[in-house]
Amino acid sequence: MSTGTERRQRAARQKVAWTLLAVAVALLVLFPVLWMASMMVKPSDVMFARPTVWLFTPTLEHFDYVIEQGFHLSLLTSLALGALSTALVVVLGTPAAYAFARYEMRGRDDLFLFILATRMAPPVCMVIPYYLIFARIGLLDSFAGLTLAYMTFNLSFYIWVLRSFCRDLPVELEEAALLEGWSRLQVFRRVVFPLLRNGIIATAMLCFIFAWNEFLFAFMLGGKAVKTLPVAIPTLITTQGVRWGEMAVVGMVALTPVMIAVFLLQRHIVRGLTMGAVKG
Amino acid sequence: MNRNGFTPRCRLLAGAALATGLLAGLAGPASAAWSYAEAAKPYKGTTIHVLDEITPLQETLAKLVPTFTEETGIKVEYELLNHFEVINKGQADMLSGRGYYDAIMLHGFQLGPMLDAGVLRPIDDLKANAALADPDFDEADLIEPAYKTTAFSGGKQYGFLNWNYNQIYWARGDLFGDPGEQAAFKAKYGYALAPATTFKQLRDIAEFFTRPAGATLAGKTLDSPFYGIVLEGIKGGSTFLSMWGNFIKSYGGDIVDADGHPTFDTPTNVEAIAAWAELWKFAPPGTAEYSLIDVPTVMGNGIAAQAIAWSDFVLGIDRPGASPYAGKFLYGAMPYKEGMEAKRSVEGEPSAIVISQASKNPEATFLFLQWLVEKQQQTKLLEAGQGGVPIRESSWSLPVMQDGPLAGMFKAMKSSLEVTTGKPKMPKFYELYDALTGISQEIGLGKLSPAEGAAKAQKAMLGICDPCLLK
Amino acid sequence: MAAIDTDLAVSPASATEPRWYPYALIAPAMITFVLVALVPFLFAVFISFHQMKYGRLGDFAGFENYGALLSDSRFWNSMAIAALFVAIAVPLEFMLGLAGALMLCRPIWGRSALVPLLFIPTTMAPIVVGLLWKIMLAGSWGLLSTNVIEPLGLVGEISIFASPDLALYALIFVDVWQWTPFMMLAFFAGLQALPVNPYRAAAVDGATPVQAFFRLTLPMMAPLLVVIGLLRLIDAFKVFDSIFILTGGGPGTSTEMPSVLAYKMTFEFWNIGEASALAVVVWLLFFAFCNVFYQLAKKKLNAF
Repeated sequence: MSTGTERRQRAARQKVAWTLLAVAVALLVLFPVLWMASMMVKPSDVMFARPTVWLFTPTLEHFDYVIEQGFHLSLLTSLALGALSTALVVVLGTPAAYAFARYEMRGRDDLFLFILATRMAPPVCMVIPYYLIFARIGLLDSFAGLTLAYMTFNLSFYIWVLRSFCRDLPVELEEAALLEGWSRLQVFRRVVFPLLRNGIIATAMLCFIFAWNEFLFAFMLGGKAVKTLPVAIPTLITTQGVRWGEMAVVGMVALTPVMIAVFLLQRHIVRGLTMGAVKG
Repeated sequence: MNRNGFTPRCRLLAGAALATGLLAGLAGPASAAWSYAEAAKPYKGTTIHVLDEITPLQETLAKLVPTFTEETGIKVEYELLNHFEVINKGQADMLSGRGYYDAIMLHGFQLGPMLDAGVLRPIDDLKANAALADPDFDEADLIEPAYKTTAFSGGKQYGFLNWNYNQIYWARGDLFGDPGEQAAFKAKYGYALAPATTFKQLRDIAEFFTRPAGATLAGKTLDSPFYGIVLEGIKGGSTFLSMWGNFIKSYGGDIVDADGHPTFDTPTNVEAIAAWAELWKFAPPGTAEYSLIDVPTVMGNGIAAQAIAWSDFVLGIDRPGASPYAGKFLYGAMPYKEGMEAKRSVEGEPSAIVISQASKNPEATFLFLQWLVEKQQQTKLLEAGQGGVPIRESSWSLPVMQDGPLAGMFKAMKSSLEVTTGKPKMPKFYELYDALTGISQEIGLGKLSPAEGAAKAQKAMLGICDPCLLK
Repeated sequence: MAAIDTDLAVSPASATEPRWYPYALIAPAMITFVLVALVPFLFAVFISFHQMKYGRLGDFAGFENYGALLSDSRFWNSMAIAALFVAIAVPLEFMLGLAGALMLCRPIWGRSALVPLLFIPTTMAPIVVGLLWKIMLAGSWGLLSTNVIEPLGLVGEISIFASPDLALYALIFVDVWQWTPFMMLAFFAGLQALPVNPYRAAAVDGATPVQAFFRLTLPMMAPLLVVIGLLRLIDAFKVFDSIFILTGGGPGTSTEMPSVLAYKMTFEFWNIGEASALAVVVWLLFFAFCNVFYQLAKKKLNAF
């Protein structure tokens, strides 16, 4: 048996090794993103110079155009649309995912597959039918329209993923609470919801990302009033070439709110107790 | 071809408009006062929606649009979207009958399908309406043959000329001026090194400047390969259009005959395609992935001696701060087949902003479209943008076009525009384009010989349409 | 707890609930699906049996659109390309994502910063991802092309996205780059939600981490792994934006996935009837696949 000091030392060494590995992976994966970050302040005439220019005097010229064209407004639109549609998905999807995991229902498997079936058709084919329907009922270029359209791919995703989290819930706690005389709503709020929180947050985060990045629906069903960031970005690709510096600015700035959200929310995902600690 | 059919009718209309103007002028003081403010009175407070493609040219125009509202009281929502977005969204709006946009910019090639679908509103009645038409509009000043071949079909007019994209020859002046290179070129080819005016020269220069890393270029050792020419070669883009408009037509061929029957595999066409495909040998290894994103970037980086490019690309690259080679480029009209200058043809994409059949405000929209094309606005546009792509002959004489740093480029552009025409109106343009762009690419990559490619293309065309022109 | 457990082992939770209760829980979601997904889809099915050139509903056409689609070699070519794309990309994303998630579960300093950073590729708009890899790999001007690939002569005469042989694999690489972090985050959340007690017990029994992984982690994670893998598979099949930016479906037809073909049918040819037929055919294939997959996963992995 090793002594406490030895064990602590070994744990520390392992932690150094794992950290180094993780940082190396991150650098490798993020290298292109770092390069794009440098393009934010790189003068246009050396942007793609050959041989590559690694050192340059930074410039802020690319920021002016981005502000002038109102990209910050598109950013806000994207955030609002992502938040709104994700919130709706959570409200509608959580009880459904729970029910699919917990209860026997007639035709449960069929209903569950039906949910998935709603996202199987290629969106490129579906966007014109949506456009025609939305044009008829006046939902084009509205938050409501896009929020609804996003249900098709996000609600099914959410229910399917969250259901696998629901399966890990201990039934016993709920049963005990019910026997205590709690109402179903109370059980759901006080027992199920806290236990499911990790899963809800993680799944909702992925749904938000889908809404955040969605292009085709946002483009065809949105418009001047609801213009999300992915729809605004192509305007930087003109027939006079791409505004590379501006593209880098928009691309990098668009990362920040999501990064902050993931950073703040991950503490709900991470249990605090790592498996390595348990196993090691 | 159908476009030959309506010329007399156009003249007639133009004449009629002119006559109306004259008559009105004689009639008395009221008409002498034709003004946008007066003409727009019934439409004051109307809002019209106009969709156009985003490039710096249109962004400059967007800044002028508020003055129209000041003048007329008609509000204009002038929306700018990316090339593909304008096409997709504009067509969806018209075809679905939604009518959100009163006017939409259509590239020449879109006119065939959209006319076939019957979603464009002719403007003849609006133009003949003395209350709306500016008697001093000077229609004859619009650049030909682009205007007539674009805005008219089946004896009707659908718009004016709004954008006049065209290709030019673009080269590195600093290399052409290098005495060592000049001597070496003369020794090898027997004539002086100068900007290419013929396809043979284009090819020779491309071959001459294609050099591996380690070779010498203008006295300096290259640390990476250098290429003779840059071409667009991606599936899509203007790969096929450039081959068709610049090469096939300059050789005297075409992809359809006068009745619209496919003629892709004629010996003339095969010869032209071979000339085009040979250039790929002197082009960078990425040619088959090069789109309009890459060509200006590559040329601006200074890794190639010449390019066939859209002239408005140049506006984005040949300016201080955009490329280290700004100011060192030279320009020329698109080269032609030696001995066939009279047949020369240059790829271009004259475009028109058209009024949607579903528009509820055609009069107000017409006023705006006419206003955009007025000499005054065009002058302001070119001055504010320090040049641009003109749609009026009179614009060439503006100081910004004559004396600016890009005067040489504008001269080349003028020469190209002398022969640039709109696309023939083909209802199945996209199907043809889709099939032919893939085949063009395969020929360029050497997967098909020019003859095999032409045969395959002919077969593909026959499978899509025969005849291929709008009735 | 133990007493309750045995009590209820014979009568599952549902026995204590009214029978309508679960249906009430799923009703709002199901109604939403019917309205926002089923109705448009049925509309597409309806369109697929009609002429719909230029987006205008024409005559009833029977199976004409289906005939045109299924007899078009380009459609089958695109399906084959998509099958190859998915067969390579998804397993790679799956394994790398799981490896990344396991790595993040080890003791690491600054993990709270690393998680969002590693997640970056997934949070980028696909069009930006396309442009970013253009900047990296474009022939003669991309950063990696000019500094690594071309000086070392790695790909020969023709650049990566211009090569009919390499372009598809490069697109797969881009997809893996973008979506592995998605898998990683989902799996990481799943791993963090696993109950701790079984691991404690295993540690007491002297199980190695590898044994614990195969005996505990994999079986407990199976539901999530299967679901995420399936959803990613469906999405990978529909990839569009990066192809559009990087190759336009070329060279030739080497990267023409069904979504690229559908894009042309829709926005270029405006043949909505045939595009809808394509939607229905792809849908049927997926529906059959998912059914089989679902039954298998349910039986063999107890995943549902």
